[in-house]
Amino acid sequence: MRWLDKKMEHSARGLAQRTSRRGFLGKLAGLVAGGAATVPLLPVARAQDNPFPEEQGDPNSCEYWRYCAIDGFLCGCCGGSANSCPPGTEMSPITWIGTCENPVDGKNYIVSYNDCCGKSSCGNCLCQRNQGDRPVYQPRISNDLNWCLGTSSNIYNCSTAIIIGAALDT
Amino acid sequence: MDKILATVVVGAWLVTAQPVLAEIQPEPLGVVETLPETYPAHWIIVQDGSFFHMSDGKFMVIDADSDEPATRFKGMFNGSFIPQFYQAKSKPEMYVAETFHSRGNRGERTDVLTIYDKRTLAPIDEVIIPPKRASQMPLLYSLQLVDDESLALVYNFTPATSVSVIDLSAREFVGEIPIPGCALVYPMGGRAFSSLCSDGTMLTVLLDDNGAQASSSRTEAFFDVEADPVMEKAAIIDGIGYFPTFMGNVVPIDLKGTTPSVGAKWSLVGGEAGGWRPGGLQLTGSDARGHLYVLMHPEGYDGSHKDPGVEVWVFDPDARRRLRRLELELPAITIGLTRDDEPLLLATNINLEIDVYDANSGAHLRTIGGFGQETPFLLHGSH
Repeated sequence: MRWLDKKMEHSARGLAQRTSRRGFLGKLAGLVAGGAATVPLLPVARAQDNPFPEEQGDPNSCEYWRYCAIDGFLCGCCGGSANSCPPGTEMSPITWIGTCENPVDGKNYIVSYNDCCGKSSCGNCLCQRNQGDRPVYQPRISNDLNWCLGTSSNIYNCSTAIIIGAALDT
Repeated sequence: MDKILATVVVGAWLVTAQPVLAEIQPEPLGVVETLPETYPAHWIIVQDGSFFHMSDGKFMVIDADSDEPATRFKGMFNGSFIPQFYQAKSKPEMYVAETFHSRGNRGERTDVLTIYDKRTLAPIDEVIIPPKRASQMPLLYSLQLVDDESLALVYNFTPATSVSVIDLSAREFVGEIPIPGCALVYPMGGRAFSSLCSDGTMLTVLLDDNGAQASSSRTEAFFDVEADPVMEKAAIIDGIGYFPTFMGNVVPIDLKGTTPSVGAKWSLVGGEAGGWRPGGLQLTGSDARGHLYVLMHPEGYDGSHKDPGVEVWVFDPDARRRLRRLELELPAITIGLTRDDEPLLLATNINLEIDVYDANSGAHLRTIGGFGQETPFLLHGSH
């Protein structure tokens, strides 16, 4: 839900004033894909901080490659990580998936966006990217649904991005 | 002596010039305002999804004609955990499908259909429904009424999909209809509803007198779920649902009877250059003349179907012709319209404020913000 990131508000307004309408959206998309970061850090600069050695980038940035179809608060900004839930929450056993390309090896991977549940909205690092997202009649690839299902509480806290495996068609 | 006289004169003048203030009378206690049964044409209902505190959702009644921030707020009512909403046309009632946990964020889950009185904005009744309702972004077709608004239908997702049927006269849950592989509730004529399905078809269920399934049927596949899927965010105009597609087409489906009739797909974009596509959260709307409004953005790509739109395109859907393009002051994620002959176009902009436009001329009239809303996901014209 990148348009909910209020930190983009003033930048977006400024962009709208400086650019043509036609050029605006592409620039807006580029801006907000970075989430709260108004000056996105280069992947190399962040690589040393990345707990995933085969990858590059900042796993707490909305631009990170695993988040190509995510919609929600990044768990790495909520006390968890890209593949773990924050303390005291419960990971949903069922979820939606995306297919994202890892820029390091050029392979497509299946990413499972398991939600973490039982506490209210984390509120940090809101991120929405919709590559491959489809309407709710295709739920396994729809990010409009709250996937806190099969958990003791269906209250949504944040979303992970867990690698399930390489996609077969690459 | 002169000084004494002057003092007396001035004192007398002061006494006579001072208005005599009546003592404030005791006021009645317990006065609570009410609203008219039929709202003025330009009052709107703002659905705040409360994305940052979902269990405290709310709906606000706002006078969209007013430039007075204090007095344009007419009242509000609540909805818990991404509620879904329906406003009756035939009676002064509004319905909220919502979810509670017994300990706030934990404990036993209870789902209810809460019935609100439009005049008091107070809940007048509730029906407990199975704790299965879909918790998802607010969508118009998660909660609908059919059969002259005698039955309420709530879409469920567990992830098995079904529809809960509520008899509104008896105020009771009467049954659950499975809709495997399909989603949402599109109202049909009579005691029937349709749902969009993952194989590109539409499922239709006819209900019997008890609210149980009497029969069901499916259309032929009418859209390609991979190449050009239809969006679920349709506008229904005089019983015909207009479903935009990802690639900028629209599929009209006649929902007036008890079986849907799928019409020929046509292009919203025509020969327009620039990669224009429909996009947004609630990206369609309609007015009393039956015109179709679609939120559009240029330079579309895979994943841009929820991007903010920079223009609203207005169509005569019968003629399949674009009537006008309305440029927005700021990109918007959601649009809505009032239901009168001089409609307002409402748009939730990227600052999460509500821009109000003259829907005919496209003139920007005002921006409504700063009244406590945080995520005004849906904008409803009132009845």
